[in-house]
Amino acid sequence: MICTRGLKKSYPDPGGELVVLDGLELEVKEGEFVAVIGPSGSGKSTLLHVLGGLDVAYQGEVTVAGTTLRGLSERELASFRNSLVGFVFQSFHLVPNLSALENVRLPGYFGQQGASSSARAEEVLARVGLSHKKEKVPAQLSGGERQRVAIARALYSRPKVLFCDEPTGNLDAVTGKEIIGLFQELHREGLTLLAVTHEERMSSAAQRVLRLKAGRLLADGGAE
Amino acid sequence: MTSRSLLALVRLSLFRDRRGAAFSAFGVAMGVGSLVFFLGLGLGVGKVVREKVFPQDARLVDVVPPTLSLGAFIGGGKIDQAAVDRLAALPGVERVYRKMTVRVPAVSRYEGDFFGARLRMGVEILAVGVDPGLVKKDIQLGEFSDPGPGKPIPGVAASRLLEIYNKSFAPARRLPQLSPTMVVGFAFPVEFNRSFVAATAPGPITQEQVQVVGVSDRGLLAGITIPLEVAVRINRSAGVDAETFTGATLQAVDPSAVPRVVEEAKRMGLQIDDQERRLAENAGAAVAVTTSALALLSALICLLAGVNIAHALSASVRARAKEIGVMQAVGASRSDVRDLVFAEAAALGLFGGAVGTVLAVAAMKAVDLLSASYLPPFPFKPDTFFALPWYVVAGGVALGLLAALAGAYFPARHAASMDPARTLAG
Ligand SMILES: Nc1ncnc2c1ncn2[C@@H]1O[C@H](COP(=O)(O)OP(=O)(O)OP(=O)(O)O)[C@@H](O)[C@H]1O
Ligand SMILES: [Mg+2]
Repeated sequence: MICTRGLKKSYPDPGGELVVLDGLELEVKEGEFVAVIGPSGSGKSTLLHVLGGLDVAYQGEVTVAGTTLRGLSERELASFRNSLVGFVFQSFHLVPNLSALENVRLPGYFGQQGASSSARAEEVLARVGLSHKKEKVPAQLSGGERQRVAIARALYSRPKVLFCDEPTGNLDAVTGKEIIGLFQELHREGLTLLAVTHEERMSSAAQRVLRLKAGRLLADGGAE
Repeated sequence: MTSRSLLALVRLSLFRDRRGAAFSAFGVAMGVGSLVFFLGLGLGVGKVVREKVFPQDARLVDVVPPTLSLGAFIGGGKIDQAAVDRLAALPGVERVYRKMTVRVPAVSRYEGDFFGARLRMGVEILAVGVDPGLVKKDIQLGEFSDPGPGKPIPGVAASRLLEIYNKSFAPARRLPQLSPTMVVGFAFPVEFNRSFVAATAPGPITQEQVQVVGVSDRGLLAGITIPLEVAVRINRSAGVDAETFTGATLQAVDPSAVPRVVEEAKRMGLQIDDQERRLAENAGAAVAVTTSALALLSALICLLAGVNIAHALSASVRARAKEIGVMQAVGASRSDVRDLVFAEAAALGLFGGAVGTVLAVAAMKAVDLLSASYLPPFPFKPDTFFALPWYVVAGGVALGLLAALAGAYFPARHAASMDPARTLAG
C-alpha cells in the first residue's frame, strides 16, 4: 500500500544542506497499522508530507495506494490527496467559523463527482460519534471532538490510507486513548494507517512500530 | 473543482466574513454607483440640451447670404428663386424651405383678456415667413397658408418661446401658464410697418390679426413664424424687397449628407448659419467635459475600490494560510485556490456593482423628486435630469467586476503559490 525506495529529502540550510530523510525505505501492506516514532525534528512530519503528496521536492521513488507520485501533474496530485489519502494533524486544522458538518464535507468540493454531499458528511460524523454536534463550530467543541471531526473529514472521500501526524499530541491522556481506540476500530474495518508520533502511547496500539533515526527507518525492537 | 462547488465555497467564505465582505463590496458600490449616477446625469442633461434647449434636426442646414456680399460678384451670395432652385438641385438635398423676414417693423398692442388675466402691453414683433412644409407637422388649426388680405394670418409660435414665457416671463408678471394646446387659436393684433423705436418704410401701415395655429421647434425663437406668401405680400405692399429670401433651410436626405451639402452651399457663395448648432455643440461639450471629469473621478473611486479589495483579500489570504493549506491537503489544486480567490473577488465586485447601480438609480429618483417638488420652475426644466441606457448599467457593473478581479490578481497568485507542507507544519 505504501512503498518508498531511496527516499531522500533535504532542506537548504545556511551551513550546507539539512538532510532530513536519507535513503529511507518503507513498506506498508494493505490494512496495516504502522506507527513511526522518533524525536522532535527527526523528520516525521516531513515523511508524511512526502507520502501524502503535499511535498514534491524529494528524491527517490514513492508509491502510495498504487500511485507512483513522481511525475504526477499538480492537478493529478491534488486529486490523489482528495480521493486516495486522508490526513489527520496534531492541531486538527479545522476551518474556524465553519460547522463540523461543513468542515467534514470540505473534501467533497474538490472531488471528481463535483458536488459535496452532506449525507456522506453526516455518515462519517456518525462514524466518529459526533452526529449530535454537527452544527457546532470548532470553538464550541472539545479537543477530542475537534480531532474526531478532523478524522471524519479525512474519511469523507473513503481514502485507502490515513496519515496521522501526532494525532493525540494536543489531547489529554484519556481523550488521546479514545482517539487511538477509534484508529484501532478503523484499522479493524480494513483501513491502512500510518501514524507518526514521539509518544509511546500510540505505538502500543499499532501492529508494527518503526523508529526514524538519521533519516532512515529501523524496526523497533523495544529498547534500542 | 466544478463551478457549483466554487459557488458553494465562495458563499461559505463570504458568509463567514460578512463584515469584511460588506466593506469590500461597499467600496465597489460607491465607485460603480457614482459612475452610473454621473454618467446618467451627463447623458440626461445632454439630452435636455439636445432635445429641448437647442432642438436640432440633424438633417437641416440653414443657409444665409454672406454678410459681405462679395458673392454677388461671382453670381452668388443672394438667395433669389434661381439660387433656391440651384440649392434644390444639389446632390443630397431633399427639400429647400425658403425664408423671408418681414422687412418692415411690426408691433403688437394688446389690450384685453389674456387667458383669464387682464393684459395690456405693446411689443415690437419680428415675423418671418417660411415655406409651409417646414412647420407642417406642428400645425394644429386650419391651413398654414396665406388666407388673403383682411383675414387672420396663421402664425406658429416657437416651443422654446413658450417655455421661456412659462418659466420666466409669466411667473414674474402673474400671468397664466400656457400649454401648447391652449395657445392654439389665440389671436392678437399686429400692425406692420409701425414701430415704437425704428424708422418705418414709406408704405402704409397694415393692421392684421395673427392667429396661433401651432407650436413648433422650428418656429422663430424671437418672434412669430408666418406663411411665406404672407411675408412676401406684406413686403411688397410696404414697398421693400419682396424678391430675395433672407435664408433657406435645406433638408438633407440623411444626416451623413449634411457635410457635403454644407460644402456645396459654401461653394455657391452662401454662408451657413450654424449659430444654433454651435451653441448646442458648445453646451453639449460643456456637459460632456463636466460629465467626463466626474466619471473619471468615479472611475478613480472604482480603482480605489480595487486597491481596497486587493488589500482586504491579501490580508484574508494571509490570515487564512492554514485554511488554504487544509484545502490543499483535502484535494485543492493550485488553480482551485487561485480560482477561489478570484471568485470571491468577482462575487464582491458583482454584488457591489449591483448595489451601486441600485443606489445610483435611487439617488436619481430622489434628485428628480426633490427637483420636482422644491426647485422653482425654470425654462427647460426637465422631468428628469438623467438618462440611463442599458450600456451604462452594464458598463458600471462590468467595471466593478473588473476592479475587483484586478484587485484579486496578486492575492490570488500568492494564495496559489503557498506551500501546504509549510503552512500546515506545527
Ligand atoms: N520548510 C523547512 N525548511 C527548512 N527546514 C525545515 C523545514 N521544515 C522542516 N524543517 C526541518 O526539518 C527537520 C524535520 O522536521 P519535521 O517537521 O519533519 O520534524 P518532526 O519529526 O515532525 O518534528 P516534531 O516531532 O517536532 O513535529 C527539522 O529539523 C526542521 O527544522
Ligand atoms: Mg512534526
